Amino acid sequence: MRSAWRWFLLAPPLALLLVFFVVPVVYLFWVSLHAGSTSELYGASLTLRNYTALVGDSFYLTIIGRTLAIAAVILGLCLVIGYPVAYFVAMLPPRRRMLATLVLLFPLMVSNVVRAYGWVALLERRGVVNTTLHDLGLLDAPLALLYTPSAVVVALMTILLPYMVISIANTLAGLDRRYLEAAQALGASPVRTFLHVTLPLSAPGIASGTLLVFLLTLSAYVTITLVGGPRSKLLVSMIYDSVTAFQWPRAAALAFVLLVLALAFTAGMLALLRPGRVQGSAR
Amino acid sequence: MNAHTDDVRLVGVRKRFGSVVAVDDVSLGIARGTIFSLLGPSGCGKTTTLRLIAGFEQPDAGDIFIRGVRVTPMPPYRRDFSMVFQSYALFPHLTVAENVAFGLRMRRVARGERARSVGEALALVKLEALADRHPRQLSGGQQQRVALARAIVVKPAVLLLDEPLGALDKQLREEMQVELRSLQQRLGITAVFVTHDQEEALTLSDCVAVMRNGVIEQIGAPRDIYDRPRNAFVASFLGASNFIDGIVVGRDAASIIVETPAARVRVPGDRSAGERVQIAVRPERLRMEGSDAQGLPARIRDIVYRGPVTHFHLDSAAGPLLSYRQNARASDFRIGDEVRCEWDSDSAVVLDGPGE
Repeated sequence: MRSAWRWFLLAPPLALLLVFFVVPVVYLFWVSLHAGSTSELYGASLTLRNYTALVGDSFYLTIIGRTLAIAAVILGLCLVIGYPVAYFVAMLPPRRRMLATLVLLFPLMVSNVVRAYGWVALLERRGVVNTTLHDLGLLDAPLALLYTPSAVVVALMTILLPYMVISIANTLAGLDRRYLEAAQALGASPVRTFLHVTLPLSAPGIASGTLLVFLLTLSAYVTITLVGGPRSKLLVSMIYDSVTAFQWPRAAALAFVLLVLALAFTAGMLALLRPGRVQGSAR
Repeated sequence: MNAHTDDVRLVGVRKRFGSVVAVDDVSLGIARGTIFSLLGPSGCGKTTTLRLIAGFEQPDAGDIFIRGVRVTPMPPYRRDFSMVFQSYALFPHLTVAENVAFGLRMRRVARGERARSVGEALALVKLEALADRHPRQLSGGQQQRVALARAIVVKPAVLLLDEPLGALDKQLREEMQVELRSLQQRLGITAVFVTHDQEEALTLSDCVAVMRNGVIEQIGAPRDIYDRPRNAFVASFLGASNFIDGIVVGRDAASIIVETPAARVRVPGDRSAGERVQIAVRPERLRMEGSDAQGLPARIRDIVYRGPVTHFHLDSAAGPLLSYRQNARASDFRIGDEVRCEWDSDSAVVLDGPGE
């Protein structure tokens, strides 16, 4: 009886998931296995060329490499900058912690497009940064700041940092203080208490923050297009380019590569941090 | 109390939180190799006293010594103690063996010696077989043992226990009391034990301090504080007691004669004639005799059978009384019977201060 009820309750979301997610993904994969066509969605012949071409083409490999490198740099910066901020926020009394979280969320309340144009206005040849430096006499010729990988890193990192900070801060705030007292009672100095207890126990927050930042970096489009320009393209821009050239099977294959990268990273992170083993209270 | 053999000594320690004085001018000494219990109702300051010894709280006044070292200005991790928490606080990301090894790692004990000590500690609590489990895979009683092993493996000058048995069910708690006591005696550990359970304090301790409102009301061996409570609070916190008010009408070398509303009784003590006093008699020491005997007259109001003993609720001119009678002895008392209550004169205690 109970299992019948369970299926009854699960049926609607399962059906939705099947129709709007599983079927399209399978169809996408099917499309990616075909040759391109100028008139149809995909050509008649089955082929693995869309995938083999990616592996054989240094152009695509460079872009995949650049995508992963930029994601890794953003992730590293978010961790290094985010953890201390999260620690500070978590130690605040509850009311102030709420306020701090709200402040952290401010950047996310601005539209993606507006924020990206803000970076353009700051970084372009005649942007705020260059003209200010020029007027101060520090610069003879304007710097090429916009349309570089660094611009993409800075622009993406600043919106993704709140995800990291909030994830880690939530875990740290929920951390039972008795663990820290137990460590001190066993002779652990504050530094060793942090390294041996606080840090491993914040693994769930690090894991969710890391996944959010990495996956959002992989799928970012507006920012990388406006700030990265034509010379710092990433995997997502290539999908868009393939679609605009009506190369649907190529776009589908690239989308699958992106999906596999995301899944592989997620699996790796969960295996490394094993957030499940530390969940629960001091009991 | 000899200061030279005391492993823990508190001198005039005071701690306030806001306007509440949690610990008020507490001084005590805990002899090496003994279990010292801090006993009292919640909010009496017993846990704060323990946290002051650990260094999790800083005293506003007074000094704390561990093995003769003044630890008052030291952070917890520099003090020579370990602690078993009420919630155990086992590290969830470490196995049982890693949890037990934690204190040794922090003390930079070499790996080989560490493994040997962990093995010995786990053997002491009979958990060798579970060394590679994680805490969440253990029962409450097993977690309790791991917490104990983790605390004793570092051979601390003093072991602090914050209601460590509070989360266990009654039967397991009694087993652990016996086990804890024998382990402590075998290893010669000095321990401070916080509890609100008077039976646990009496069972486990060499010395008990009864606390109320941040003040130690009485310190002594379990038998002393049970048989010779200093005041009504201590008498009633450590179990039931009969309180009888009266006036001192005479005295001799070692005892006084007290006129109560029901009868004249002789009590060991030293008070002047005319003084109002309250005396206490434990129910198990109050004997009922037939109405033709000597003693304090009373009438049986109620009889409650409790298995090993029967509780007799009595009414007397001196107020309600309670008498416990072992069921090993046959009894033909009935509700409504007139009886006489007697006790050995050294079974009664004169209390300090006004009764409650």
